[in-house]
Amino acid sequence: MDFDWTDEERAYRARIRDFLRRELPPEWGDIARHGPGSKEQTDFSRTFCPKLAEAGLLVPHWPAEWGGADRPTWEHFILGEEMWASGEPRGAQYMNVNWIGPTLMRYGSDEQKQRYIPPMAKGQAIWCQGFSEPNAGSDLAALRTRAVRDGDDYVINGTKIWTSYAGLAETCFLLARTGGADTGKAGIAIFLVPMDTPGVEVRAIPSLIGHGDIHECFFTDVRVPASSRLGAEGEAWSIIRYSLANERVGIPRYELSARVLEEMVEDLKQQGRFDDPAIQIRAGEAAAACEAARLLTYRVVDQKARGGAPGPEANVARFAVVTADNSVTDFGLDFLPDFFSGLNRPGYLAHHERAIVAGIAAGAAEIQLNLIAHRFLDLPKVAS
Amino acid sequence: MYFEPNEDQATFLSVLDQIASGDGSGWKVPADWSRFHWADELDRTLEDNGFYDCAIEETLGPVTAAAMIHRLARLSVTMEFAASAMLRPFLPPDLPRPIAVIDGDPAAAIRYLPVARSVLSIGEYEVRAAMLDDGDVQPVESLFAYPMGVFSATIGRWQRIDVDPRRVRESWRVAVAAELGGTLLGGRDAVLAHLRERRQFGQALGSFQGLQHRLAASATKIEAAYWLTLKAAQGLEAADSAVALGYVQNAATTVVYDLHQFMGAMGLTLEHPLHRWTYRARLLKSALGGAGENLKLAASRKWRAA
Ligand SMILES: Cc1cc2nc3c(=O)[nH]c(=O)nc-3n(C[C@H](O)[C@H](O)[C@H](O)COP(=O)(O)OP(=O)(O)OC[C@H]3O[C@@H](n4cnc5c(N)ncnc54)[C@H](O)[C@@H]3O)c2cc1C
Repeated sequence: MDFDWTDEERAYRARIRDFLRRELPPEWGDIARHGPGSKEQTDFSRTFCPKLAEAGLLVPHWPAEWGGADRPTWEHFILGEEMWASGEPRGAQYMNVNWIGPTLMRYGSDEQKQRYIPPMAKGQAIWCQGFSEPNAGSDLAALRTRAVRDGDDYVINGTKIWTSYAGLAETCFLLARTGGADTGKAGIAIFLVPMDTPGVEVRAIPSLIGHGDIHECFFTDVRVPASSRLGAEGEAWSIIRYSLANERVGIPRYELSARVLEEMVEDLKQQGRFDDPAIQIRAGEAAAACEAARLLTYRVVDQKARGGAPGPEANVARFAVVTADNSVTDFGLDFLPDFFSGLNRPGYLAHHERAIVAGIAAGAAEIQLNLIAHRFLDLPKVAS
Repeated sequence: MYFEPNEDQATFLSVLDQIASGDGSGWKVPADWSRFHWADELDRTLEDNGFYDCAIEETLGPVTAAAMIHRLARLSVTMEFAASAMLRPFLPPDLPRPIAVIDGDPAAAIRYLPVARSVLSIGEYEVRAAMLDDGDVQPVESLFAYPMGVFSATIGRWQRIDVDPRRVRESWRVAVAAELGGTLLGGRDAVLAHLRERRQFGQALGSFQGLQHRLAASATKIEAAYWLTLKAAQGLEAADSAVALGYVQNAATTVVYDLHQFMGAMGLTLEHPLHRWTYRARLLKSALGGAGENLKLAASRKWRAA
């Protein structure tokens, strides 16, 4: 057991930090304030990601064949931490890097790979993920969007909701039902749908979490060629399982939380209030929560780095991450409420908005608890 | 970053597990219905086979000592292992075990004192040790599932040990964190077994979501506490050890409450072993100042405040 970084890993992190110091403009804080799905941040990613690609820092963990450098899992993870902690200047493109690209490499047709992967590796593609629906959130397998085969095409009808990045994305990684209404997980297929296809309509949903972050997407008689289907009909569930296994621990949110906590403590020191033992206890508690989330996450990364499949430890880590994010944002609200009005500390507002999402997006905290109970503690299924 | 034990650690821990799952470690209702069962035989086996020396073995070290403490604390029986394993690098090799540790008020009831053969005092400026003689100690009745005692005579045989008291104190903090973490896990596992079996309203208690979520949230904390402790054992950075102990002490309150709730009346008896874990946890959660003090310490060390 060894809980320290190697010299090489430290140097890698330093290199990324140097890059960020050089490439993030002075007004970056104001841009990042709007949220990863905002027009401001998406536009920024269109120039930032190509620079990352050029420096070999966009897809280093991808195989060389697709523009990567076959770098180890830990480096990919360090990169993710640094990007998220600096406000995620890759915007929506982090999804391509983490799971959409690797999923296409594994399951895509030659045509799909040639068409979609190179732009991702160059930092020039914006995707969105069309999974959730008005009546299928936590119970994703209940989704109703239909894709009906019509000759060489499919015709898609339905509604997706909470779709991040949809307003600016060129392509949607869409789940739709090709089987009958009662086919559950087995009746779903994946479609790679260009967002400018006639019949696709996007409406931004006003929210507490950044400009233009979440959307409703309406698909009305959207006709796509059968060649836009990824994998076979009914194969969606196993493909998503594979792709999201890469994402099991999710975003390294604790890294931003830990850094925001540092800033909060600095503010309290400036105000001469950090000697208050009540404040110190709460700061220690928040710091411990961040450290807990970090180590539980690292354990899952370590499993992956050694070639293992992520187990229920990933759900444990996810729950700890939610606790850490909220612990820091609550600390700020309790002791530095003045910084949550006005724009003195855009970073606190941005962190708060990201933190309140942590327990909902990509599987609610309570779903994580269900999974921990069944898979980690081996408790019987919930009583009806 | 490597979370799996190395080859030597793996061998060490698996042999330890084998020994610790033997006859001497199981639950027995003692004839006198006492609150703890002193596992003398198991303790001697571990001592005779050099287990308490792991912290000074190059390929094992303090991380292994912390993992060992965590494992032994999961047992329902009681032994003195935290100081022996974790503080080994600082102690004279001939200091006899069991060792009682004074880390606060020497006049208060101290755990292990009635069975200890030596006592270690970790003061702010110095660390001292003394061997105990008959008549030095008087046992006291206690709520806690440890043999507790007070000094009945003034000890005049103290010897100063030439070590950095801060390092000893940080190691001790990690040792207590490991012991508390393992104690919570042991109690939790005993309750889980019950929840899978016991049926009410036609179903296993463990299938009620109201209980599942609390158990799952606790599982997260118990897991985190383990890794925080092992990491603190590796670096012995002052902030890390305070984080590890403060975190697990903070978690202990909810975990202990939940475990007793979920056992119903059975958890209030001396016939079910739950109390052996929870009444150790209830003492350890106030050790070295308790959660508030340790979290405050973590913050003040991390951010260099007064
Ligand atoms: C910022 C943000 C971005 C998102 N981006 C996307 C995206 O790009 N693409 C996409 O497809 N989706 C996206 N989502 C949707 C997200 O995946 C869902 O919100 C999530 O899966 C929960 O579904 P829901 O909101 O419908 O809540 P519901 O399923 O209605 O659940 C509401 C609450 O009920 C509780 N609950 C539900 N089921 C259970 C259960 N079985 N046991 C116990 N409690 C339960 C939980 O507390 C849950 O939070 C995004 C969400 C957010 C907040």
